[in-house]
Amino acid sequence: MTEQAQASLPNPLELLWRQFRIEWRLYARDRGAMFWTFLFPLLMLFGFGVIFRSGGPPALTLVRVEPAQTSARDAAFVKALEESHLKVLTLPAREAEARWQKGETMAQIESVGGGYRLRLNSYLIAQGQVAAQAASQAFLIAQARLNGAPEPERIPVVIESPGHARSASYAAFLVPGLIGLNLLSMGLFAVGMVTVAYREKGKFRRLAVTPLPKWVFLLAQILQRVTVVILQTALLLVAAWLAFGIVNQGSYPLFAALVVFGTATFLAMGFALSSFASTVETYGAISNLVFFPMMLLSGVYFRLDSAPQWMQTAVSVLPLSPYLRMLRSVFNDGATLAGHAPGLVILGVWAALSFVLAVKRFRWV
Amino acid sequence: MPDQIVVRDLRKQFPKVLAVAGVDLAVAAGEVFGLLGPNGAGKTTTLEMIEGLTTPDAGEITISGLNWRQHSQQIRARIGVQLQATSLYNKITPREALDLFGGYYPRRRATEELLELVQLKDKADAYHVTLSGGQAQRLALALALVNDPDVVFLDEPTAGLDPQGRRSLWEVVRRMKAEGRTTMLTTHYMDEAEALCDRLAILDHGKILRSGTPAELIAGLGIPSVVELTFEGRAPDPSAFAARLGAAVEKRGDIWEIPTPDPRSLLPRVFTTIESERLDYNQVHVRRATLEDVFLQLTGRSLRE
Repeated sequence: MTEQAQASLPNPLELLWRQFRIEWRLYARDRGAMFWTFLFPLLMLFGFGVIFRSGGPPALTLVRVEPAQTSARDAAFVKALEESHLKVLTLPAREAEARWQKGETMAQIESVGGGYRLRLNSYLIAQGQVAAQAASQAFLIAQARLNGAPEPERIPVVIESPGHARSASYAAFLVPGLIGLNLLSMGLFAVGMVTVAYREKGKFRRLAVTPLPKWVFLLAQILQRVTVVILQTALLLVAAWLAFGIVNQGSYPLFAALVVFGTATFLAMGFALSSFASTVETYGAISNLVFFPMMLLSGVYFRLDSAPQWMQTAVSVLPLSPYLRMLRSVFNDGATLAGHAPGLVILGVWAALSFVLAVKRFRWV
Repeated sequence: MPDQIVVRDLRKQFPKVLAVAGVDLAVAAGEVFGLLGPNGAGKTTTLEMIEGLTTPDAGEITISGLNWRQHSQQIRARIGVQLQATSLYNKITPREALDLFGGYYPRRRATEELLELVQLKDKADAYHVTLSGGQAQRLALALALVNDPDVVFLDEPTAGLDPQGRRSLWEVVRRMKAEGRTTMLTTHYMDEAEALCDRLAILDHGKILRSGTPAELIAGLGIPSVVELTFEGRAPDPSAFAARLGAAVEKRGDIWEIPTPDPRSLLPRVFTTIESERLDYNQVHVRRATLEDVFLQLTGRSLRE
């Protein structure tokens, strides 16, 4: 009788398959999860990809305060400004001041005494400085022309990504960033948050009184998340290819290996982090503390070159930044991982640490 | 009849409290056995140790001759458990949940039959989040029966249910008994314990104070009846009255209770004392003693306190 009961317990592999299917079915019913996992990365790609499509910044507008009398020098200056691709908007002093106060003006040129003065909007300083440089150059050209001297030569500018990649648009920069961000949020939320919620609400306890082996339940969950990641990544790659003609410049096996490595690391991080909170509220606070700095500072959307050195150093030891650097090397520059030893070590240490913590600290109740 | 559940000297210490302090009990096959006690008495901890959810510090547990150390999977295959709060996926339907859980077991009951049993046919395809408290509770009961279990554990099965919901749950428990299953349940409702249980153990501070059939426990009081006096508004202090009456009078809430083995001789004395004390009472009732009185006598406290 006893042996019989034991012999007829369902086959674990069959249970795994069933559990995997129900995890997927219920996941697909969760509209929030579907949005954040599948639609949101695409929206980010299309949104930012289209905004920054030209590769460079949009045309800059320079506001020019109309002088009382337009001298020959003024006319030559305006001509040179227009030649340097600046949009010059000439306004009477009062209107120019009104526009300035609304914050719409990034740079304004006004006549002072016998010369000119540039005013830059401190909120739009990056674009303002570009406009200022263009204006200074135009001023030199205008002066040379008035003096009959030879015009200063313009240096031709070529826009290219660091690794001489062919797909050099911002969207191409974004694709690996979004893939990395997907992995991070999968680990922190789809794994970590769910684990805490299951524990807090007693779902693990309900399963613990059934003969379903715990490893079957956990493995089914992990496999479901991994298939989500595969699907998500494939979707993003196809969308990037169709909409922007972006393709992987490097080795596909290497790229796939990196995605697997990242998935394992962030999965383990999610499990590890979940062991430090006993309620969903606490976990929400902890996970956001981890998620937001990494999302904003690890180079998902932009590089952090202008940040202070200490911040760059701090961020570089977090797992996401070296991971994204490696992913971009392969995907955007078609390079190998040569020269990425420190990054691989950092990521490896995070993976090992998370794995040990996850295994040692995992609690069912 | 052989004992289906045998528990010997079960103990569990939590960081701040000794939850279970040496519990022995035996439940016969086919019996409905109740653990009765106030919140924090150790009912749930005892039950969860028997269910294999909590590891005891000491003690022996045998279910159908099997023990947790050697036969955990066989035991799990044969027991059905309803936890105090059963959490499922939000967007699973009762039908899917029953199919899913049924798949974990070697032997299972048909989903349709279970839906019928707990009257959830109308809600079979509604998401779990949309079920009412009573419906969710009934689904939890159906899940506990999904493997056609020999032994069923129900932890506070009627907590939070309306009177009608409680009655229909009692019906299911009676059917389980008729089907020959052994049932162990916890409750802090005396009427439920009296209505459902063949035998009971009264638990307080992690110990069994007394056990037996409801009738035995009440008979053990030696005071089969209670005379109750009710008042308009607050009940006055009964000490002077008790001294004149020559019997113990307990004030419980807004009523006085006078337990007695012989109401026929007590009642005339009560009325005489009322006259001489000029007591402004409202009504006099005589009722038979209940498990509540047993509990009160054993612990000096009311079950609901």
